[in-house]
Amino acid sequence: MAQHNLGTVVSFEFIRTVTKRRFWIGTLSVPIIIAVVFGLIFLSNSTTDTAAAAQKSAQFSISYTDASGLITAKDAALFGATSAVSPDAGIQAVQSGTVDAYFDYPAHPETTAVRVHGADKGIFENGKYAAVAQAMLTHAVEQRIGSPQLSALAAGKVQVETVTYDGTKESGGLGSVIPPLFFLVIFYGLIVLLAGQMLNSTLEEKENRVTEMILTTLKPRTLIAGKVIALFGIGLVQMLVFLSPVVIGRLFFPEALSLTALDLPPLILDPFRMTVGLLVLVGGFALFTTTLVAIGAVMPTAKEAGNFMGVMMALIFVPFYAVALVVSDPQSLIVQIFTYFPFSAPVTALLRNGFGSLSPLEAGIVIVILFVGAAVMLRLAVRLFQYGSISYTSKVNIRTALRAGSRHPAAEKPPDDNGPLKTDS
Amino acid sequence: MGEARVHISGFRMDFGDTTVVRDLSFDVHAGETFGFLGSNGSGKTTTIRALLGIYEPTAGILHINGRDFKPEHGDRLGYLPEERGLYKKEKVIDIMTYFGRLKGMERRTAKRWSLEYLDRVALADRASAVLDKLSSGQQQKVQLGVTIMNNPELLILDEPTKGFDPVNRRLLMDIIEEQKLAGATVIMVTHQMEEVERLCDRVILLKDGTAEAYGTIDEVQNKYGGRIIRIRHTGPIPRSPHYEVMLEETNYSELSITDATDEAVILKDLVDAGVTVRSFTTTKISLEDIFIRVYGDQNKPSVSGTAGAAGSAGPGQSRPRGGV
Repeated sequence: MAQHNLGTVVSFEFIRTVTKRRFWIGTLSVPIIIAVVFGLIFLSNSTTDTAAAAQKSAQFSISYTDASGLITAKDAALFGATSAVSPDAGIQAVQSGTVDAYFDYPAHPETTAVRVHGADKGIFENGKYAAVAQAMLTHAVEQRIGSPQLSALAAGKVQVETVTYDGTKESGGLGSVIPPLFFLVIFYGLIVLLAGQMLNSTLEEKENRVTEMILTTLKPRTLIAGKVIALFGIGLVQMLVFLSPVVIGRLFFPEALSLTALDLPPLILDPFRMTVGLLVLVGGFALFTTTLVAIGAVMPTAKEAGNFMGVMMALIFVPFYAVALVVSDPQSLIVQIFTYFPFSAPVTALLRNGFGSLSPLEAGIVIVILFVGAAVMLRLAVRLFQYGSISYTSKVNIRTALRAGSRHPAAEKPPDDNGPLKTDS
Repeated sequence: MGEARVHISGFRMDFGDTTVVRDLSFDVHAGETFGFLGSNGSGKTTTIRALLGIYEPTAGILHINGRDFKPEHGDRLGYLPEERGLYKKEKVIDIMTYFGRLKGMERRTAKRWSLEYLDRVALADRASAVLDKLSSGQQQKVQLGVTIMNNPELLILDEPTKGFDPVNRRLLMDIIEEQKLAGATVIMVTHQMEEVERLCDRVILLKDGTAEAYGTIDEVQNKYGGRIIRIRHTGPIPRSPHYEVMLEETNYSELSITDATDEAVILKDLVDAGVTVRSFTTTKISLEDIFIRVYGDQNKPSVSGTAGAAGSAGPGQSRPRGGV
């Protein structure tokens, strides 16, 4: 049977949140920050490429000395470099402006640094001196080896492509890691942005003394369920907003999204890992929502509830202390604990799912833990709200609230604080 | 007399080892204004909360319209709780519309009703303001509006004038009168005896979780001995079996007498005892007098039968004074 007034609560809670300016400031800040970061990386890569290209073709006067004897006059001439009488003379020539740069090649450049002296052209443009000094030496060595292929191999310019197999199927590598990790980013975004609202959703009625009027029009369960559903809707809106840059990019800028500028491989969407990621995200979000709502039902003020929110936030960051183990040794004891402990499970499982180390069985167990945990916390939140909603000035005695399952629950104090609310029967 | 809008029978409420209400029974008839009186902690609010399904009663029957109250039945209920407030960060019109919808009104109807109400209480220009930007008095008006939305057939007002300024108190009284005229049943939980005497058809006095008195105001007044003699005088009031001293100050006293007692005998006793009587007025005992008689011993030692308990306050400071 539909719950009386559930739709009214959901629409009120949803609309009053999404029509607030601060909601959109918080929500839009995430994709904007992502876009800015990606933009900066793209710009930086482009700038670096441009600078490198410019340095390659840079024209400036060079003098040099070569104690190693590797660079011939012919090699130097190719770069327009002339031999200096001595290091001191070379440096003096730079200082006097006779030449732009002087390169001092040591006797053993494989162990000793090449010293480059140049006229200051600014911190970015000064890089061209080192680039040309390096190019001169490399060219000279290549000439001595006499084979561009051997030169390249000697320089370690070897391309390696790794193909791994999951059974008979080729696995996706890094390209298949990134998409499931998006769920982790979304989870963090949702919790960080919505945790305060989750916590305050029941506290608000209590702090504003609205509870009694509300409870004559709907049941506590309806109110809590309405708030949780509205939070899901709000979370969905935020998720869509977070994903909007990717969707827009894919529709309108597909070339840019090949991510070559970021040196990333093409993304591969593994249906299993994407499904697991989505379920863990939803289950984790549900668990945190119901838990924070329950905490809000117990606490008399937002200030007191804030201490508990800190603990909840810490729980979603704790798995990162063991992130190296999560990646390299997912079967270690600490990772197993983090995987199955309900409040660290979402982050750990999403990480492991991203890196492909979460087996189907483990994924199933985690998903069950999260959804069952969320259902239990929802019941607990309703029970605590029934007992705590008109406990205006003191914390609810959780033991009393949990004990009171019968028709005649016993409270420890008389009203006007802590009376037993009627259970939904 | 109409049918019972509210029926409470054998109601008992325990909180742990503490019994707050014991074996309470009374009816509130359709269309009447009912005063629910009692000192702090006597169980009034607990009874209302149990009646509205907010508390689970330990025992007893609490019916509204012949059945246990459930939120689904709350469309025509107007409840102004003792602990009151609204969503402070929301717009006035949104809050009122929300509560209207919770009470079963269509969104459009709720909004239109709210705007009309806000216009009536001179808050039309504040409809789109966030509630906490309104003054305390303005917020009280909004609260009242929310209470009477959807034409309630039962209006339960717990300490309705608590914290209200005189303007809003007047507005509240007007609204109660209007609702009464429109056929609503009104239950007022209050300490304001003047308002009870003016508005209520029947009352119940709750003391220590039981009904101390129950009936029409006349019936309750008759139960408590009918009349009060208010005297301005010089000299101590003597003890006498003909009256009970309810209040004794330096130059002003109040004596309680039964309907059968002859005032002339009292006056003679006083004069014979050397008391100079400057004024002597007999009035029917007020609800406030009854309230003090019933609950006074909970807060201070009784002055009844105490000789020479002259207070420093002047006459009439504690009580309405009688004329000459």
